[in-house]
Amino acid sequence: MSLAVDLAPGREPGLRLRNPVMVASGTFGYGTEYAGLVDIQRLGAIVCKGTTLRPRRGNPTPRTAETPAGLLNSIGLQNIGVRALVREKAPIWAKWSVPVLVNIAGESTEEYAEIARILDEAPGVAGIEVNVSCPNVAAGGMTCGVDPVLAAEVTAAVREATTLPVMVKLTPNVTDIVSIAEAVVGAGADALSLVNTFVGMIIDINTKKPLLGAVTGGLSGPAIRPIALRMVYEVAQAVPVPVVGVGGITDTVSALQFLMAGAAAIQVGTATFVDPNTAADIIDGLGDWLEREGISDIREIVGAALPKDA
Amino acid sequence: MIRTDALVLSNTAVAGDIFLLRLRAPEIARDAAPGQFVEVRCGSTLAPLLRRPISIHRIGPRAAGYAPDEIALVIRVIGEGSRLLSRLREGDTLDLLGPLGRGFRLFPGTRRVLLVAGGLGLAPLVALADEAIAHEVNVVLLGGAETACRILPPQYLPPEVEYQVCTEDGSLGACGMVTNLCPPYLEWADQVFVCGPEAMLPPVVDQLRALAQGGRRLPVQVSLEARMACGMGVCLSCVVETRHGLKRVCRDGPVFDLTEVRVW
Ligand SMILES: Cc1cc2nc3c(=O)[nH]c(=O)nc-3n(C[C@H](O)[C@H](O)[C@H](O)COP(=O)(O)OP(=O)(O)OC[C@H]3O[C@@H](n4cnc5c(N)ncnc54)[C@H](O)[C@@H]3O)c2cc1C
Ligand SMILES: Cc1cc2nc3c(=O)[nH]c(=O)nc-3n(C[C@H](O)[C@H](O)[C@H](O)COP(=O)(O)O)c2cc1C
Ligand code: FES
Repeated sequence: MSLAVDLAPGREPGLRLRNPVMVASGTFGYGTEYAGLVDIQRLGAIVCKGTTLRPRRGNPTPRTAETPAGLLNSIGLQNIGVRALVREKAPIWAKWSVPVLVNIAGESTEEYAEIARILDEAPGVAGIEVNVSCPNVAAGGMTCGVDPVLAAEVTAAVREATTLPVMVKLTPNVTDIVSIAEAVVGAGADALSLVNTFVGMIIDINTKKPLLGAVTGGLSGPAIRPIALRMVYEVAQAVPVPVVGVGGITDTVSALQFLMAGAAAIQVGTATFVDPNTAADIIDGLGDWLEREGISDIREIVGAALPKDA
Repeated sequence: MIRTDALVLSNTAVAGDIFLLRLRAPEIARDAAPGQFVEVRCGSTLAPLLRRPISIHRIGPRAAGYAPDEIALVIRVIGEGSRLLSRLREGDTLDLLGPLGRGFRLFPGTRRVLLVAGGLGLAPLVALADEAIAHEVNVVLLGGAETACRILPPQYLPPEVEYQVCTEDGSLGACGMVTNLCPPYLEWADQVFVCGPEAMLPPVVDQLRALAQGGRRLPVQVSLEARMACGMGVCLSCVVETRHGLKRVCRDGPVFDLTEVRVW
């Protein structure tokens, strides 16, 4: 039985994962933090915290709040910057068998390209996830992910700057996610991941003020799952590259739904906070499910729920 | 640090809306240090979703009357998560992640410690009192709360502790803020440990400043609270400003030197 998938089949050496279960950016740190608790080498891949050219302080606190079956966050891309990442983190990853992708965010197209160039040389980096979808920063981030022209421009610049596999992470805060997806694939993305968080807010009725320091934040967790699933279903029909499904996945059943909607792989985010072993449990669960169903290759179920004429 | 299903041994209403949970959690009892906390899964459904950070209140191997494989938590009912915890019964299991964070540091030469607790800030300080007593250190614990039913009764504390209480409404002990009780003990103590609402810190800082002018520099450690999502140091929800930049309360704390977090 095979759980292996390749997220950049058009590229040498590709982005081969031993299973389709990844952990999402911003919810697994640099991979080292959970190492004592989770057998991280079993994971399909790890996506590290969103990384910018220079270190960033992030947003004022409070930065998180719980909502029904969901989590609002406005971390604001606090991170150590790409140079410290290459110096301090990538050498650790180079010794691991699990592939690590670096999630990157720039304030301009040039900055995205610059970060990609710096990563291109770094041992230990298996690929780049281009974050054109962070809702929690003023410049860059989501502003370029809501515009097909800008999103394509950033993708092309990153594509130009590196030979690493390039996956572009889309924001759901758009009217027509398919048009963005098509533009980004046209500009050379090897794969797409979707979705990032939905902009939302919460008000503290005692202070009569927004609870989050940054006023708004991004909603994640099971609350967003049906919308994320619908978007994956739409995008998977429209583009020829692998799509990675993200949003509210908590267990094997929800992971299978995304695979059947056309996702070649999935990412677990918020659910890791609830149970650090969620991703590992899903890997086991997928194996068991395939065995029960008598299916020998996970790729056979990818897109099983898509319209047959698609 | 592990994830484990602890067995609930008892759940007792100890005061007003405060509950004492005794749990069998051998690995956590073995590994925990005073000042560390656990992340508790309050239910098994998707709401409440996140774990709740709760201080470790007693650590079996050090706590009189506890088995070596036990820990205790004290819970104040705030919202849905803590309400679910307050309803646990003997024989239930509780999903814990821990022990987490950096605890209090009791220096080898210390003979007298002052513990200053605001509300349930008392919880981790009692684990520290147990530790201090085991090292034959004298302990004064000052406990303050809004009102009498928020004060942990003395029978739940180690008998060696000198326990002084006060309430903001005067319904038990002295009337006022717990920090008002500090001054005489600041002359006496070798180390001070503070846990409670942020509002406790400015008066403590003022008192220490006065003391420092007289040439006495007292080492003070403070345990901070912050909104947490992961408790593991990955999400960067719980950051505080320190002399060395932003630090994570869940991983770099919750215990910090006062001089790290307050310039005085
Ligand atoms: C390091 C640490 C140790 C703690 N130790 C204890 C303890 O020993 N006993 C105890 O009763 N409480 C303790 N608390 C506070 C406890 O975590 C909250 O009271 C609890 O999370 C409330 O959850 P709820 O669902 O009942 O309330 P809700 O208000 O419904 O919770 C909603 C959200 O806000 C968060 N939240 C609410 N109040 C706090 C708070 N004061 N601090 C941080 N997050 C909060 C919750 O975790 C949750 O994510 C501690 C907090 C921290 C950070
Ligand atoms: C605390 C937190 C921090 C996040 N940081 C990032 C980030 O730096 N870059 C990014 O592309 N996505 C980030 N995300 C979004 C997640 O990677 C994921 O897309 C989103 O949470 C939806 O998945 P989930 O419902 O499984 O959590 C973050 C999410 C959370 C909860
Ligand atoms: S709670 Fe996530 S980093 Fe502290």
